[in-house]
Amino acid sequence: MSFEFLSTGPGAVARSPMEREALAAGARLEQRDGWNVAVSFDGEEAERERLRGSVGFADSSYLGKIELQGEIGEQLELGRARLVDGAWWCPYTHERAIVLCEPGRTAALVERLEEEARAAGRLTSVIEMTSVLGALTIAGPLAREVFARFTALDLRPNVTPVHGFRPGSVARGPGAVLRQDEERYLMLFGAALGRYMWTVVADACASLGGAPVGVDALEGATVHA
Amino acid sequence: MSRLPERDGERIDRGRSLTFTFDGREVGAYEGDTIGSALFAAGQRTFSRSFKYHRRRGLMCCAGQCPNCLVQVDDAPGVRACTEPVREGMQVMHMNAQPSLELDVMNATDRFGGPFTPPGFYYKTFIRPRRLWPLYEKVLRHAAGLGRLRKSQPEREWQTEYRRRHADVLVVGGGAAGLSAATAAAELGADVVLADEGPEPGGRLLAEGGRDYARELAGRARAAGVELLQNAPALGTFDGLVPVWQGDTLHQVRAAQLVVASGAIEQPLLFPGNDLPGVMLSGGALRLVELYAVKPGTRAVVAAVCDRGLNAALALREAGVEIACVADLRPHGGSRGDAAKLLQRRNIPLMRGSTVLEARGRGQLDGVILGPPGSDDGAGERTLGCDLLVVSGGSAPATSLLSQAGARTGYDERRGHFALTHVPSGVLAAGEVAGVGELAAAEGSGALAGADAAHALGFGDEASRAAAERERAKPAGPNGWAAAGNAVPPPVTSERRGKCFACLCEDVTSKDIHLSVKEGYDSIELSKRYTTATMGPCQGRMCQLPAVRLMAEETGTSLADVGTTTARPPWHAVPMGALAGRPFEPAKRSSIHGRHRELGANVLWAGDWRRAYDYGDPRGEALAVHEAAGLIDVSTLGKLIVRGPDAGEFLDRLYPNRFSNLKPGRIRYGVIASDAGRITDDGTICRLDDDAFYVTTTSSGAGAIYEWFTWWLADWGLDVHITDVTQGLSAVNLAGPRAREIVQGLTELDCSADAFTYLDGKRAAVAGVPCLILRIGFVGEVGYEIHYAAAHGEDLWDALLRAGAPHGIRPFGLEPQRLLRLQKMHILVGQDTDSESNPFGAAMPWIVKLDKEQAFIGKWALERFAEDPPETALVGFRVANGHVPTEGAVVMPLDGSPMGQVTSARHSPQLGGVIGMAWVPAALAKDGERVTISDEGKRLEAEVVTRPFYDPDGEVLRS
Repeated sequence: MSFEFLSTGPGAVARSPMEREALAAGARLEQRDGWNVAVSFDGEEAERERLRGSVGFADSSYLGKIELQGEIGEQLELGRARLVDGAWWCPYTHERAIVLCEPGRTAALVERLEEEARAAGRLTSVIEMTSVLGALTIAGPLAREVFARFTALDLRPNVTPVHGFRPGSVARGPGAVLRQDEERYLMLFGAALGRYMWTVVADACASLGGAPVGVDALEGATVHA
Repeated sequence: MSRLPERDGERIDRGRSLTFTFDGREVGAYEGDTIGSALFAAGQRTFSRSFKYHRRRGLMCCAGQCPNCLVQVDDAPGVRACTEPVREGMQVMHMNAQPSLELDVMNATDRFGGPFTPPGFYYKTFIRPRRLWPLYEKVLRHAAGLGRLRKSQPEREWQTEYRRRHADVLVVGGGAAGLSAATAAAELGADVVLADEGPEPGGRLLAEGGRDYARELAGRARAAGVELLQNAPALGTFDGLVPVWQGDTLHQVRAAQLVVASGAIEQPLLFPGNDLPGVMLSGGALRLVELYAVKPGTRAVVAAVCDRGLNAALALREAGVEIACVADLRPHGGSRGDAAKLLQRRNIPLMRGSTVLEARGRGQLDGVILGPPGSDDGAGERTLGCDLLVVSGGSAPATSLLSQAGARTGYDERRGHFALTHVPSGVLAAGEVAGVGELAAAEGSGALAGADAAHALGFGDEASRAAAERERAKPAGPNGWAAAGNAVPPPVTSERRGKCFACLCEDVTSKDIHLSVKEGYDSIELSKRYTTATMGPCQGRMCQLPAVRLMAEETGTSLADVGTTTARPPWHAVPMGALAGRPFEPAKRSSIHGRHRELGANVLWAGDWRRAYDYGDPRGEALAVHEAAGLIDVSTLGKLIVRGPDAGEFLDRLYPNRFSNLKPGRIRYGVIASDAGRITDDGTICRLDDDAFYVTTTSSGAGAIYEWFTWWLADWGLDVHITDVTQGLSAVNLAGPRAREIVQGLTELDCSADAFTYLDGKRAAVAGVPCLILRIGFVGEVGYEIHYAAAHGEDLWDALLRAGAPHGIRPFGLEPQRLLRLQKMHILVGQDTDSESNPFGAAMPWIVKLDKEQAFIGKWALERFAEDPPETALVGFRVANGHVPTEGAVVMPLDGSPMGQVTSARHSPQLGGVIGMAWVPAALAKDGERVTISDEGKRLEAEVVTRPFYDPDGEVLRS
């Protein structure tokens, strides 16, 4: 394997590019699958209420991200992601896609995808991108209004239905938005822009009465396949 | 006090009183009042002083279209009093008058300054003597402009929001036509936004007897799901994007279909004294009465060209205003219409074929002369005392937004204005802007436009389409406000003495327009720029049509031939802050950035990254690298994974040197050349295995090189994949005589000189973190560039500093790095090279492998450069006298003219002197040659050096 250096290892905890911002906002961190994860801010109850009534945003950078290039194998429709065995398959183009999964499954999934490609004689590049991309989940009835503050992507339901995947410009930089559920969106962007993105999203949410939430509050909101 | 008894449909709430101050004086108001209506009710008649002549100006349109009531509110200048709602405690001040609104010393310009202030006077009157121009400029600048900004930056800041809104249909204008259009489109299933500049939807309905109906129409629109934006003027049209400004929010609306129902703007008449306080448009007078229950005058004269003016006379009479006379320019005085008959029944005198010839008064209207237009011999004239002159000079469709979207207009002789002749696909017009003035017809045209917009997007069905066709086939009916027929007023109604203003905003008179034509500015665009007519706050709403009429008269051409000026945004005045949006700038930061701040780094911009320039002691940091060890964050380097069976061939085609023969685990330096053989970027390439390479680029070149690679890959179709992992990997350079010991203490990898040689690349764990370690050097000492997942950024940095602490390690920043690489004469692309630099001139002929089998980019150019020696060459230099020349300083032979420039220069504490790099004449690119550097008036002698200043043979680097 050529690319172990792209992956996190057991020697040190893995940190989100927005960890400092989360701590400054009052996050409580826990180690999960080798990552420091912001699990709560001002209490699960208040955070769930925020997700029900206005909008909350959570750092999801710990999610595993695997880029596929070439003959991808899965039948993917441009503009739509597929949820397969708990992993999101998100097509950028017919020959490039990103697979999002729980952090504990990333290494195994990389191996599996490489093996499947080899076995099928497919010319597919499989590269782990977990650290390359930051991720924020924005959820709640005002989630689309939050996005309206910093992206011109058309996220109306008739244009971006549930499971819709829209690469494009987000806060003046390249990114992508995955609509995971009715009122839940996952936004991807370059990790080096983490602090900037946190600031932009926090500002947009604040103007609408929203605030950060921990991943535990998010997990209460089911994502429908 | 001019307040009327309670009226049906009034906007004010008499149960809620407010107070505010105007020029320090307390004024009472009701909730719902505007500043203008409250002040007028309290007896205020002068609201501002005009731009150049400082003449008194009073309320005229009461719709935010003219410049007459601009005031300063709580230190924010340029607020229109006639539309700004009163808030408790607001402090309102006049603008553009000193020392007070009542006594303005600059009014002397009006009385005496006319001959000195013709159009373009700043190019004529105040250019001699030339030496006094700085003084003239200062005085003119001080006198110009309206309002004053707050002094300090914190006081000027305010929160703005951007909101992007996609829609199927955007309707601009909330009158009858606009509401109908929005409702029709929404009922067919479209997602509709309606933007209206008024505080409540309804347009003219609100002040002309239709308020309840306006509410009904608005209710239907909301019930259909239309998003209604009030106090939300559209600013322009930009290829499908319409910005709409609402309070502190700029909505960027992108709609597939645009329906413009922006109505028509009532026009003034031009006559001497037409700017006196007391002269109002009929719509303005009616708005005061109907919306705010304010009596606009006691005794009024009405001058009209259509039934709108006549209807206004009737309404004002009903409100208790005495109507002394109505002058109707139409020879038959609209005798076929109901309005004329009603005037007759109410014994209101009606003069047919007449208009206002002059308005009189000292600072306030006190009388008018009516008569046939152009009359100056008294025949058929009447002089009347009055305190209110209501003017209705026809209307001009508000086509600016449509014109910006590509619509065309042409002059309509019958109506006397410019009407739409063509609208582009995706854009529709409805209501008065489309020439449909009658109420029922306006609603119908709106409904049809809305249906057409929805149908164009695939909404609706056969039945709705058939219904639309039936509507389209209906003839327009005469019911509603305007009876058929209007008179077209002359450019000016009389040639009597007295200023006759064509442009109220810029104080441009009818004579100014005539003069501009005489001076040769004989097109409407030239005249506009010369006189500044239409360039003020009203943006031509009041003055475009009068200016065109005057120009046609002066040039003897038709209005159709004169045409109009180009419509440009913004259509509505908007603060710069609303356009600026939130103050966030995308900044990339490495995952170690927080540590740099904690260590006291001076952080500056390097491209779009925030980087540590130094940690407070750049000289000491550089020395630490020579004496012990230094650690620098180089995470900003571009990093690409290039993999596939054709990866080696791909790189051979891109670079002038070879990479297909690079062994796995080895590194080679590469320079990217353009098609023309010029250096565009550089970096290192490490072969990971047979099919995979790890390519680094400069920090600022990462994006461009990724694009370059992918573009050529698309062209060549090789079996290669490229992945940009720049932001996913941290990279640190550990360098110095103790570097080997430090890294060895953290890894099981054998880092001895024999096992891990210069230009090796190895994968191993360092402090438990999987890494790619590149044994390379940029700073002249033994160095390891360690690349690893950014998620471990701070942890590995900390581990290296801890391990290096006993050895005297120090973090070092960009500034010491620049000095260290300069000692080695390593180039910085973009600093030591420019768009003309090629590898031969840059002393890198060894990197160009012209004997390579594979054709490569730039080969043809590099073959020519190889044959023709360059005129200049990049060399090092020393300066003996200790002066560090400025980067960019000119280099010349000792006795010659400029032939090069300094690209880098620093004082080196390690070497004890000033060193640098420069482009010099090729003939002088030899050790020991002497050149002159000319630097800000100083001349320095420098000695050329062609080999690295420090460790010229690279023994230390390779040790």
